[in-house]
Amino acid sequence: MTVPTATSRMILVVGGGISGITAALEAAECGQQVMLVEKTPTLGGRTSQLYRYFPKMCHPSCGLEINLKRLRGNPNVRVMTQTEVVAVEGKRGDYRVSLKLTPRYVTQNCTACGKCAEAVSAEIPDAFNYGLSRLKAAYLPHAMAYPQRYVIDPSIIATAEGQKAKAACPVNAIDLEMVEEQVEVNVGAIVWATGWRPYDANKIQPYGYDRFPNVITSLEFERLADPRGPTGGKLLRPSDGQPAKNIAFIQCAGSRDENHLRHCSRVCCMASLKQTQYVREAGGDGKSTIYYIDIRAIDRFEDFYQMVQADTTVSFVKSKVARIALNEANNNPILHGVDTEGYHRYANEHDLVVLAVGMEPEITGLLANGGLRADIVLDSSNFIEGCAGGALEAGMFGAGAAASPLDVNRSVQSATAASLKAIQVLHKVASSEVV
Amino acid sequence: MATNLQTPAPYHNNFLREVEERVEEGEWVKMCMQCGVCAGSCPFGPHWEHSPQKIFMMIRAGKREEVLTSDAMWMCTSCYNCVVRCPRQLPITHIMHGLASYAHRLGLVPKGQPTHEFATMFWNNLAKKGRVNELKLTLALYFKDGLVAGIKTVVLAKRLNPMEIFGGHAIKDLKGFQAIIAKAREIEDKKQGLTG
Amino acid sequence: MADNKFAAYICAGCGIGETLDVKSLEKIAQKEGKMALVKSHPFLCSEEGVKTIQDDIANESVTHICIAACSRRAKTEAFSFPGISTARANLREGVLWVVAAGAEHDEVRQEMAEDYVRMGCAEVKKMILPQGNPDKTQAKNILVVGGGMAGMTSAIEAAEAGYDVVLVEKSGALGGFAKQLWKRVPFSAPYSEAQPTGVEELAARVTAHPRIKLHLNSTLAETAGAPGRFMIKIAQESGGVSDITVGAIVQATGFTPYDVNKLPELGGGQPNVVDQAGLETLARTANGAAIQRADGKVVNSVIFLQCAGQRDDSGTHLSYCSGHCCATSIKQAMYFKDANPDVDTMILYQDLRVPGMGEDFYRSAQDKGVTFTKGKATKVAGNGHGCSVEFKDLILDELTTLNADLVVLATGQVSNAGVDLDKWTEVSTAAESGDASAKEEQQRLRTTSVLKMNYRQGPDLPQLKHGFADSHFICFPYETRRTGIYAAGPTRRPMDLDQAITDATGAALKAIQAVENAAAGRASLPRVGDLSYPIVRLEGCTQCKRCTVECPFGAIDEDERRFPQFNEQRCRRCGTCMGACPVRVISFENYSCDTVGMQIKAVNIPDEDEDKPRILILACENDAYPALDMAGLQRQVYSAYVRAVPIRCLGSVNTIWITDALNSGYDGVMMMGCKRGDDYQCHFVKGSEMAYYRMSKIGDTLTQMGLEPERVQTLEIAITDSVRVAGLINDYVKQIKEIGLSPMKGFG
Repeated sequence: MTVPTATSRMILVVGGGISGITAALEAAECGQQVMLVEKTPTLGGRTSQLYRYFPKMCHPSCGLEINLKRLRGNPNVRVMTQTEVVAVEGKRGDYRVSLKLTPRYVTQNCTACGKCAEAVSAEIPDAFNYGLSRLKAAYLPHAMAYPQRYVIDPSIIATAEGQKAKAACPVNAIDLEMVEEQVEVNVGAIVWATGWRPYDANKIQPYGYDRFPNVITSLEFERLADPRGPTGGKLLRPSDGQPAKNIAFIQCAGSRDENHLRHCSRVCCMASLKQTQYVREAGGDGKSTIYYIDIRAIDRFEDFYQMVQADTTVSFVKSKVARIALNEANNNPILHGVDTEGYHRYANEHDLVVLAVGMEPEITGLLANGGLRADIVLDSSNFIEGCAGGALEAGMFGAGAAASPLDVNRSVQSATAASLKAIQVLHKVASSEVV
Repeated sequence: MATNLQTPAPYHNNFLREVEERVEEGEWVKMCMQCGVCAGSCPFGPHWEHSPQKIFMMIRAGKREEVLTSDAMWMCTSCYNCVVRCPRQLPITHIMHGLASYAHRLGLVPKGQPTHEFATMFWNNLAKKGRVNELKLTLALYFKDGLVAGIKTVVLAKRLNPMEIFGGHAIKDLKGFQAIIAKAREIEDKKQGLTG
Repeated sequence: MADNKFAAYICAGCGIGETLDVKSLEKIAQKEGKMALVKSHPFLCSEEGVKTIQDDIANESVTHICIAACSRRAKTEAFSFPGISTARANLREGVLWVVAAGAEHDEVRQEMAEDYVRMGCAEVKKMILPQGNPDKTQAKNILVVGGGMAGMTSAIEAAEAGYDVVLVEKSGALGGFAKQLWKRVPFSAPYSEAQPTGVEELAARVTAHPRIKLHLNSTLAETAGAPGRFMIKIAQESGGVSDITVGAIVQATGFTPYDVNKLPELGGGQPNVVDQAGLETLARTANGAAIQRADGKVVNSVIFLQCAGQRDDSGTHLSYCSGHCCATSIKQAMYFKDANPDVDTMILYQDLRVPGMGEDFYRSAQDKGVTFTKGKATKVAGNGHGCSVEFKDLILDELTTLNADLVVLATGQVSNAGVDLDKWTEVSTAAESGDASAKEEQQRLRTTSVLKMNYRQGPDLPQLKHGFADSHFICFPYETRRTGIYAAGPTRRPMDLDQAITDATGAALKAIQAVENAAAGRASLPRVGDLSYPIVRLEGCTQCKRCTVECPFGAIDEDERRFPQFNEQRCRRCGTCMGACPVRVISFENYSCDTVGMQIKAVNIPDEDEDKPRILILACENDAYPALDMAGLQRQVYSAYVRAVPIRCLGSVNTIWITDALNSGYDGVMMMGCKRGDDYQCHFVKGSEMAYYRMSKIGDTLTQMGLEPERVQTLEIAITDSVRVAGLINDYVKQIKEIGLSPMKGFG
């Protein structure tokens, strides 16, 4: 891989989700040079795994298409996938960043013709579908993957399968000898748009995500609803593949909870309200029940909440569900708790439970690896507040869900703002360097 | 101040403050966010009048008499399900016991409340000899519902040493123990404003 | 300018060479496509393949190329040749991957590929390399309207990036609503205490900044021009007017608290009932000591009523939630608790909405002894000493009446966005037809305008919902419908101070981007960087005004003779004007009635007896075309009888394309656009809507031609519809076969 030469006139954006893409493009369209690094093989991030957005019920892939078009047409942005930041040294205006490049085993020659996938029989869990389905070990991460190039999974590299893939490639794009590389780049400012990850539902023991097949996460439910997802868009129960008709949505699964995430993840109420409409659209006699503490449908989202409240297929129970038991006869989860409005005890059987899992900053992983500098200030939930030292020393900025649990719209705002902050650093460094 | 007759203004913080000051772990009550997970987690839930979360709301609403005469806190079996699950990490079990103890002190326990009766017997038993005479305690408990039922239960249980019925043994410094108890009660009463 | 030289390159890779007769495709490009140079390559996107093309450009003076390979969405970077007009014929995703396998389909597959080559060649023949708007602009400074927290932030953030700023504030001082606050909600860990607002510090920085020019006591008297050359008249209160030119505009005119007097049932208007703004005033007066009411009585008990006149589904008050008010009431309850922990403070809420780290602020208030009650107030009445509040406690499920010294109503934010353009259009249409009272009303409306734009489409930014000048798009919160003008802060959307600051910073960036784009003659979102712009042949214009009325971005004014006057820097290059023009005098250099029309005509229409229908698909380039592509990627199978043409927007579809297609013997037309209606998805606002409207009128034409109305179909296709779209195509082909092939064949 050719590694572009970066200078201190360049902005580094870490993370290729919608916040990172936005931060990179907004700066690039102001004429700045940007390097965008993403640790997975494709840009798009979490939003590309969502089926629809609230409140318009429009498709995230529509915005992704526009952003990818912006990217393809803009020579100011250099995209590096499968690249992670391992260390940052230096100061505002002059950071030296070590990047680790994980091999893709596929070169730029790849035309995405798909012959390698046809040749390979080994399968791996499909990360794009949160493991709800499997795909070939030579794969295109998803239909809108960018760059549009296949990936060879490391598990087949030293195997006959790997050789089969290589042999099948008509354009000699597979290079099984690729190795991990480390490069250092010099940048003036850094935007951390490392995003979020769903809170590990296994940790919420009373809900039995690890034990009950028909307890899934809200992210997995998005994949079920997507026509390009593992069930072709049908809302099927994992236990028996039957259509789910009576679905419970449990809010604050991990959020607003000092045993798990102390913050409110902001998006989950609206996400569940949106998902009730997937149930409605699926037709038939599907019903949704939302178990909640407070419905946080802020500003014009309130309209959406009122629309869902008027929907006869949806009911609301003000209650944090205490625990889930299993009806072993039919694998139905039984929800136990108390409706606090007037104190009504319930034991409600549903055929599918969707846990509205909270947003945990992905940066938590970087912290564990020691990859984050000490001068990045985090709040008590590990969201990036900023850079120590105040306005004159800050050259690193958090953007999007790395900075706060935000919805897409606000993440984009946040990323746009962070982009300007980065531009200011370059401007000031340049103007003080005027000979 | 005639504490046990006072009716606080509704939703004004007098009773909440009283609870904070006089009930063990009472200062946690204000931190409840009314999610209801405690109510749903309690194995005895179906049998009581008010759930912990409701009790906490009632405290905030100044429903002093209703709270202190509720049977809710007497039903707690200390399973700690609520404490483990509470998203605000409230020591709910302790608060419930604290409320029970406070109600007892104020003489506001519902009449015939079985847990209270057991607790009283337990306490009297303990206070007398400095240790619990399980047999006497259990007999007292079982016979409270009548002689026949009691005998049946005891005989079936076959788990107690019948010899303990004859006096039972005390701890070594029984007088000292009783003095400690008396002093502790005095200090506690003073702290809670029940005396002095 | 050098002569045009056309070349076609046909890729034989990805299985194209094995499945299609590439030699025959070459021949078609040469003979029918009239390409001067035709080459095929086994792997065109390889370094070597691309070099072949580059060499021809350098050595053979090739200026226009048609690449017949994969979709225009694939290998875009490899096939990007600066200064060269390029068309892409989609043989891979459009033919190879979607036509059923097997020898029995060889003929139709090959015909489809041949047609796409013909179409690519026809398109590139009509393409002109966009030169960029010759009317380059110079102004790179930014006008910020409004000197509150958002406005000051936009100003300082743009200035700090090296751009000059003009800040216009209608009052005599900076600070806006935030200046009225005693303290603000915390923005950073530990999120437990109210914080100083920082307004004075920011105002001082703004005032002292050498790049910021301040106009206090001033408002806008007129906004004319376009990005890069907005001509602004600033009217001073004293009566003076100054003219300035700016490159872009940020409108940060804030909000007005909902009028409490409209809430008599909640005690609005009574002496011991205040709104949150009123409470801030009391807190500032108290300056950290015990808060007193207006009558001087120290407040010992206070009740905050959340959602006062908000989240109202009766249609009387605000239906939305203003988002900040829960945290604001928490902060205000702390004012009392911090001064005296013995004050009873209760917050009566239905859903406590403190997202993110607001949860910590909520905890902190609970810890301070603020009581939270889930309930709904039904009545607030004044009594001798204070107020009585009647409410239902939803947890205890009972009605209660409670007395308090003071009641604070958490009312909502009403945007100061200016004139509602729907209203404006209604009034101005009536005024144009001579209605005298409408003319008066129009004048009156104009005085309430913030920007006083002289655009045909009205004097202010279009409002999205509830009076807020927001973007319609989730992914693009700054995708404004007036190029180069960005709303920020609570004018755009209800929000708190923290969000307003972020929002204003983002808006400053967009303003900077707008001036840079205008200076380079480039389009902004969504066709970022597009250098083409509408060119009009005024001598053919009939002054029908359709283009001026239908332009979704207000880019076209009318001159004194009622000719359209294009403001290219406002234009977003959707082509709605081109679609609207009945005499087809509007076009873009690389996208015109001809570039598409010639593609339609290039398709070979088989004779009726061959029983091979031809169906034209006009597919929106952002949603439907990618959906078709992805159908290919997933190897969905659809009929080889369709010919798809990507278009910028359904709004750009000129009915001539449809009538020409039907005249020349096409059997049907599928127009694929995005979702219309309130939740429209069209990034050009009304494209899909316009197409439906225009096609609803085409019925007569079809009847005159003796054609069935089913021959033109308008569809909503989402980008995720890759499976569905294949089904729709196949169903339509079946339907067309049932109706029978077009009787027009052979007449074209």
